Amino acid sequence: MINILYIEDEEDIGSWVTNDLRKRGYDVTWLKDGEHLERYTTNIDIAILDVMLPGLDGFSIGKRIKKEITDIPILMLTARTAVEDKLEGLGFADDYLTKPFHPEELAARIEVLLRRFQKNDKILELKHLKVHMKDLRIIDKNTNEEILLTGKQYYLFQYFIRHLNQILTKEQLYEGVWGETYMEGDKTLMVHIRYLREKLEENPSKPSIIETIRGIGYRVKV
Amino acid sequence: MKKFFQSLLAKYMLIIFMALFLIQISFLVIGLFVLGLAENIEDSKDNSRDYGVIEEKWHTEAAQIEDASIDQIKQHFEKWKHEYSEASMFWVNESGILTEALDVTEEIPTEWTSAFTAKFIKDRYGGEPFTVIAFVGNEEKDGFIVLELPREVFQPPIQKLYDRYGNLLSIGILLIISLFIIVSFLFFWQIRKRLLSLQDAMTTRDVVGMPTQIKVKKNDEIGQLEQTFNEMVKELRESKHREQEEEQLRKELIANLSHDLRTPLTKIRSQTYSLGREVLTTGGKQSLKSIENSVVDMDRLIENLMSYTLLMASKYKYELKEIDVVRYIRECLASWYPAFEREGFEIEIYLKSFSSNQWRIDPFWLSRIIDNLLQNILRHARSGKYVAVKTESTSQYDAIVIMDRGKGMQYKSSKKGAGVGLSIVDMMVQEMDLVWEIDSGKNGTTIKIKKFK
Repeated sequence: MINILYIEDEEDIGSWVTNDLRKRGYDVTWLKDGEHLERYTTNIDIAILDVMLPGLDGFSIGKRIKKEITDIPILMLTARTAVEDKLEGLGFADDYLTKPFHPEELAARIEVLLRRFQKNDKILELKHLKVHMKDLRIIDKNTNEEILLTGKQYYLFQYFIRHLNQILTKEQLYEGVWGETYMEGDKTLMVHIRYLREKLEENPSKPSIIETIRGIGYRVKV
Repeated sequence: MKKFFQSLLAKYMLIIFMALFLIQISFLVIGLFVLGLAENIEDSKDNSRDYGVIEEKWHTEAAQIEDASIDQIKQHFEKWKHEYSEASMFWVNESGILTEALDVTEEIPTEWTSAFTAKFIKDRYGGEPFTVIAFVGNEEKDGFIVLELPREVFQPPIQKLYDRYGNLLSIGILLIISLFIIVSFLFFWQIRKRLLSLQDAMTTRDVVGMPTQIKVKKNDEIGQLEQTFNEMVKELRESKHREQEEEQLRKELIANLSHDLRTPLTKIRSQTYSLGREVLTTGGKQSLKSIENSVVDMDRLIENLMSYTLLMASKYKYELKEIDVVRYIRECLASWYPAFEREGFEIEIYLKSFSSNQWRIDPFWLSRIIDNLLQNILRHARSGKYVAVKTESTSQYDAIVIMDRGKGMQYKSSKKGAGVGLSIVDMMVQEMDLVWEIDSGKNGTTIKIKKFK
């Protein structure tokens, strides 16, 4: 089970978020301040922090947690919306959500973070594919066979899975996978996407898994 | 008094006094020197080097020669020659015959007629050389003897001094004047140097754009100026610090205010969300939806109000950067796409590279502009079900074009606010040196954000 550390001093909001997340199947530890933090950080998968807290503020707590355990995603959940606050938050945190938020959005963002940090061992159903999130094994449900990807194809697919439902521009994909600056007119990415589609899609000429968003880029949507 | 002696005025006065004193002293020294030399010269020579004395003496001695013989005259001439080495002498006897001559260089006749004698006397009177004619003996029957002396022998001693030591004297005076000029030059050059370095210090700025304090080395007028400058810098820094503190307080206040407004808003949302999970009638569900929408609107209004307040006070974070604007817009659109997709919009995106994609703008501001404009389309131009974002290039400008097919801005949307969102767009566009243009009609709105080339 996924363990969420949630720090919020506001009673109503705290209990509401805790209940909602528990209903969604998460294990939530809700604290009202950052005191005795070290007792709770041992076995957590993700931290959700408010900024305005009594005593130590959320930014300091977040930095402390990051320093201690680097591979924990941190989501700042706060009513502070100033650009400066967002910048400070995103300096160490992995996501920043402002109040008032919709619980669906919070849940979606938690999912994204867990995927990005590979904390999830769920199996993702993607049309006719079953994807094991932990090791990114892909099974074709039609044939029950595993689809094997070559190096770049694997990284490309991994990038899409980490940014599930997100539209990615050509620049983002190229720079995220190849680690180099994208040059206008470079066909490398298109070629690799074509290969990937040939392996994954039932009908590569009408792709349903890797969508093309005209004028922007590509998306893998659940 | 101590202050006075440290002042530049005192130093300059000192230089002037020194100069005057030196010139006076030098003249005095020269005077004494000249006097000493003159005395020396006069001492070393016969002090009777005077026209009158010589003339007198020549006449007296000539008168004393009785019954002049050649030997006597010769003797007389030699005695004089001994005394006046520059002299030339000759004797014309009573018959007008040139009998004896000593060192005579000019042409003189051997026989002297009375006419020639008269002419000679006339010629030599007051002329060169100085000539004395005296009759020999008391009875004046032995003819006359003539003494010739070049007039330069009679030049005053100072003249001779100048002839001999003139160069030395001029050089000495020149040296003293040059010394004065050099000292004055150095004095003013030092002042100039310090003034220039002061000016330099006034124009240089440190990392926070403040002038820096300078080291005060002397306690004169410039030193005092430097001290005053340092005090000014200190005050400037203090006031800047105060201003920053106030700015921080103001930002904090606004941030806290917005935080405090959002917290109850979040609670409202949490309650409506919980309520939504209960069994409700259609009417109940509808009013719940309406509360939810109001929460969203309220959130937006708070955000806009906060941004507007900060923008009006020029306290909104603003940092210009060179960014690839087409790429940036594309990434902004990527995050907006799902919202339009959910509403069933037809989405057209044509982003082509400009001749230069590098715009010097604040990316946060640009995304804020795009957010506000797209949000407006979602809220007020929903009926058109269409949104397009394009690039446009002409010879004068590059532009980002956002189009919808809503009912236009004149149409009163039920969700229309006070237009704070567009005011923010307007302020931000202008601040970043861009121009925007709205063309709104019944069939839709086109907004162009232009950057002129």
